[in-house]
Amino acid sequence: MPNIQRVALLIIIGLLFSKFTHAQRNYTISGTVTDAGSGEALIGASIQVSGLLKTGVISNSYGFYALSLPQGEFELSVSFISYKTQVQRITVTKNQKLNIKLAENNQLTEVVISSTKRDENVSSPQMGLQKVNVREIGTIPVLLGERDVLKTLQLLPGIKSAGEGNSGFYVRGGSTDQNLILLDEAPVYNASHLLGFFSTFNSDAIKDLSVYKGGMPAQYGGRLSSVLDIRMDEGNRKTYGVEGGIGLISSRLKADGPIVKDKGSFMISARRTYLDAFLALSPDSSIRGNTLFFYDVNAKANYQLNERNTFYLSGYFGRDKLGISKSFGFNWGNATVTARWNHLYGSKLFSNTSLIYSNYNYVIQNKNDVNNFEVNSSIKDYNLKQDYEYNLNGNNNLKFGVNVIHHTISPGKLTSSESSSINQINTEKRKGAELAAYISDEWKVSNRFNIVSGLRLSSFSLLGPGNFRNYDQDGNTTSTVIYGKGKIIKTYLYLEPRLSANYQLNSAASIKAAYTRNVQHIHLMSNSTTTSPTDVYILNSNNVKPELSDQLSAGYFRNFLSDNYEFSVELYYKSLENQIEYRVGTDLRGNNNVEAELLYGKGRAYGLEFFLKKRYGKFNGWAGYTLSRTERKFDQLNGGDWFYAKQDRTHDLSVVGIYKPGRRWSFSSVFVYNTGNAVTYPSGKYQINGRTAFYYTEKNGYRTPAYHRMDLSATLEAKPGKKLQSSWSFGIYNVYNRQNAFSVDFKDDPDDATRTQVIRTTLFGIIPSVTWNFKF
Amino acid sequence: MKKNLIRLFIAILPAIILFSSCEKVITLDLKNAKAKVVIYGDISDQTDYQYIRISRSYNFTESNKFNAATGARVIVTSQQGSVINFSEITPGVYQSPKFRGIPGQSYTLDVTLDGQKYTSVSSMPEKVFLDSLNFRQVSFFGKTSTHVVANFEDPVEIKNQYRYLLTIKGKVVEEVVSDDRFNNGNKVSNTIYHELNDLKPGDPIELDLQCIDRNVYTYFFSFGQNMGEGGPPVSPANPPSNISNGALGVFCVHTSSTRIAKVL
Repeated sequence: MPNIQRVALLIIIGLLFSKFTHAQRNYTISGTVTDAGSGEALIGASIQVSGLLKTGVISNSYGFYALSLPQGEFELSVSFISYKTQVQRITVTKNQKLNIKLAENNQLTEVVISSTKRDENVSSPQMGLQKVNVREIGTIPVLLGERDVLKTLQLLPGIKSAGEGNSGFYVRGGSTDQNLILLDEAPVYNASHLLGFFSTFNSDAIKDLSVYKGGMPAQYGGRLSSVLDIRMDEGNRKTYGVEGGIGLISSRLKADGPIVKDKGSFMISARRTYLDAFLALSPDSSIRGNTLFFYDVNAKANYQLNERNTFYLSGYFGRDKLGISKSFGFNWGNATVTARWNHLYGSKLFSNTSLIYSNYNYVIQNKNDVNNFEVNSSIKDYNLKQDYEYNLNGNNNLKFGVNVIHHTISPGKLTSSESSSINQINTEKRKGAELAAYISDEWKVSNRFNIVSGLRLSSFSLLGPGNFRNYDQDGNTTSTVIYGKGKIIKTYLYLEPRLSANYQLNSAASIKAAYTRNVQHIHLMSNSTTTSPTDVYILNSNNVKPELSDQLSAGYFRNFLSDNYEFSVELYYKSLENQIEYRVGTDLRGNNNVEAELLYGKGRAYGLEFFLKKRYGKFNGWAGYTLSRTERKFDQLNGGDWFYAKQDRTHDLSVVGIYKPGRRWSFSSVFVYNTGNAVTYPSGKYQINGRTAFYYTEKNGYRTPAYHRMDLSATLEAKPGKKLQSSWSFGIYNVYNRQNAFSVDFKDDPDDATRTQVIRTTLFGIIPSVTWNFKF
Repeated sequence: MKKNLIRLFIAILPAIILFSSCEKVITLDLKNAKAKVVIYGDISDQTDYQYIRISRSYNFTESNKFNAATGARVIVTSQQGSVINFSEITPGVYQSPKFRGIPGQSYTLDVTLDGQKYTSVSSMPEKVFLDSLNFRQVSFFGKTSTHVVANFEDPVEIKNQYRYLLTIKGKVVEEVVSDDRFNNGNKVSNTIYHELNDLKPGDPIELDLQCIDRNVYTYFFSFGQNMGEGGPPVSPANPPSNISNGALGVFCVHTSSTRIAKVL
């Protein structure tokens, strides 16, 4: 792999510098693409130039676009999913501003997950990218009727659920902490509510979602496996609106409207679960005293000062609270704030400056007299991003920028009262700074050939103060060095080349290839088979090296029947270095010497992903199938041999069908099937002091039983034309009541101590749900 | 923790909708690994016969049993060099003459079985006495249960590891370990989470508080993790043994402080 990296690096440097050698007499047409009704910016709208010169661009995250054209007459065709395509004639004689307003298409026949342009999947050099149009996922059946973008993502090839009802996901063999989850550019560290049953993302508040499985553009970095870029809704700039929903588990309410008409808008959206309201009804006082709920609030405001300056402020705040009478309390949650300034220099240089704050923390309180204590743990980031987009000429679009992130991790502060048997323990905070700079160029070599080349330079510095230890092979401390405040303990510097290209075979087919290197400087500590709100992150150190991944992918993309059907097959190979596992018997709870327990090894993942989608018509949907292998190798585990990572699943199939016979009813169904996870089961047993013990041979050498399930849902819209628009959604999760294994345990039979039993626990059998949604 | 929280979540939901988690006994096709030597050695600070038990692992589907390994030569050597010979009194059970381990001393176990040598070193920590026992009611979602609490004073100067053996009606019903990283030097009250609800008032229970070295602690902690005790569920693996040559099991040298209490 290092050779591939070197070659890729040379190619990229060559590509990037060749750009500045030739220039052409061109004019710039630039502006924003917005929704004609609400004034909201449209992300990813396609602006195509037809005629002799076949060229085009996609509007960016703020709806901005810039096109370079020579003098002459052109026809611009502007399109966006579920909007009417607009065709506009322009005469180019000078640089000019052109804002485009698209009207919504009410005859909605397109499918949920869709490219912005009819043939974008074929013509764009980007691969490994999936976009989810949040507005339209409402009809897909979900657990307990809670719409959830993260669960919908798991129905795509290459993206796998981390477990029953779990919002965690694995992308192309990576672990859950190798996904970069950004909400309005702010990293979200624990994207789940209620122990993973629901994601922190309230669908009402989300406008756009893109997930990159490979070929990540150079502006993204910091995680190995994927980038999930989520943009919050901006609110209507013209009229006020209120919408909401009442479901079995939670209720939602959202309000939006103009701050100054056509200049600025706001959006605020909140939801809360009410399991605890049912607890309060219990006649039993020991049940009444318990709490269990979560809530979250998303808010965003924007204001356009003038044509050149727009400001955005957005925030998220969510919290889960759990309490057992007066004896135990546990709460956790994320808070993020993003402030942004869009500025246009001249007509070609678009700038975005973001200042981002992100905080995840949890608190555990044990109120039992003799052992009372409180644990506080947090991870806090300050993040400054400066991004530029520059339309160099008709064939080259440059992106470049810098990013600084300052991390502060407080692994755990233990406090207790004077009378408690628990001591006050303050585990040292850890601080670190990530610095990155990137440049990338999208180059239209010819009408058939596109190349995106990028280079990202990323560095990480571990900062004092604190006591920093070094360990030997067995985890024994060899030395401890004390550093003062602000001192640099260790710096890592990496170059991350990114290269992707597509060659269009004909108007309906193309081949693509990509190479991506990613580096990860922050690591989730979890030796558990499930995720927990108490899992902490650690930074690189003298002992913990940055995790590295090199991914090569290639694909064939084909549309047929006038782009009504979309088909793709992608092949990937990924090699991973500096992966982390744990010594046997590691206890991560309250462990202030975690690094002594870590083992380092490598990994490899490869697979083949098939995707077939029908995009239009009364009946549409998609099928995704992944054939894959994910393995790890550690000197101290499994005798130093390769073993299957727990997320290794040979086969993974998802089928989604949506049927909309008329204006009011829509029906949908989801079917998923996957090979069971790789697990360790006993291959023998013995006795220790009269207790049955199990003898394990190879690590992850067994499989949990295969997982499959079918869900159904039906949505009834009220008659159109009324002021209050409402809809009913009915759903059934796990229609045929498949008893999927959540866990498999081995225990002595309570009725016959000479026998050992295998016990399968199923979490969810068949579950009906109903939700009422409204909007006015 | 997670498992308990999930149970809690599941416990609440049925009140609202028609589902609940469900457990079922299933059959799995498990491999039959080649038998492995298992050694469980136990040396305490009480003047008594001490035992080393040697067995072999067997197939999962077989009945639970002590699969004795006979004909081994078993020797324990103290730090001062005194050699204690163990003789096989019943198949697989090797017994010493009466003696007691001394706190602060380490002991070396040498087992020779079928030409293979297995050795282990374990040291006896300084003794901590079990001061008293009391009972505690724990209420969890409408269900109240009774547990026993071990009270003792943790010495401040050293790192301590404890093993608790709860015996009811002559049978060990619970085995757990703890260390002092959160409560070093304090008066400690640790609840042993084993439900005593089925016992009648006046029924005796016996708790043995043992001090063990770090390696033995890690062995039993890992053992508990595999059984779903002690924290979040982990991918199971053979607990790290302090015995050489790939043997399973542990050589556990420990102090012992026992108290008996009657259920109220």
